[in-house]
Amino acid sequence: MDFCELTTDPIDITSVARRVVPPECGATVTLDGYVRQFTKGRETLYLVYEAYEPMALKEMQKLVEQAKTEFEISNIGIVHRLGKLEIGETSVVISVAAPHRKAAFAACEWLIRELKRTVPIWKKEVYADGEEWIEGENASG
Amino acid sequence: MKIRVLFFGATANAIGVRSMEKSLPVGSTSKTVFDRIKSEFPKLGSHKLLYSLNQNYATGDEIVRDGDELAIFTAVSGG
Repeated sequence: MDFCELTTDPIDITSVARRVVPPECGATVTLDGYVRQFTKGRETLYLVYEAYEPMALKEMQKLVEQAKTEFEISNIGIVHRLGKLEIGETSVVISVAAPHRKAAFAACEWLIRELKRTVPIWKKEVYADGEEWIEGENASG
Repeated sequence: MKIRVLFFGATANAIGVRSMEKSLPVGSTSKTVFDRIKSEFPKLGSHKLLYSLNQNYATGDEIVRDGDELAIFTAVSGG
């Protein structure tokens, strides 16, 4: 089955990966995105993620539907964490199950790229000497 | 008519509230509302902004109706 979820609890990567597997599949590609300590030399203490939750879930669902029309894949699971995350904690998991691995890799890459572009979730980087909401590239107006 | 306007992350931070009600003339478009809020809160001017109407990205042409939900936010940064 497909699923899109937002949670403030730690994400169990293995269970996300297992939940997407149907019998006709032979490969699951799972992205484990986690909190980076150093970005361009600056040290992050922790992150805070915030979402426009109902719209984020809708946009995630749209990505799932689009990916399934464009790639030879069976199931997709996307779970994004919200709230405060420590260094190394998983912020996003995307699992794609497919009959063959090639399509699963391609779809997983496409899904994370689109998620970062369209799903209304924002991260605040907290540094030793300040904090800032990170603004993505996809802006107009 | 009245609509609800929501702010997140950097936009909530810039203006100090997360939501507000706005009274608008009937027939206003989403772009009209967006422009009006930008001019009311000059602090938003230093950000590149996106906006949505009823949880879908807005084109700007939609006619806003009583009870609608418009959100104003910076380019997304999840993942």
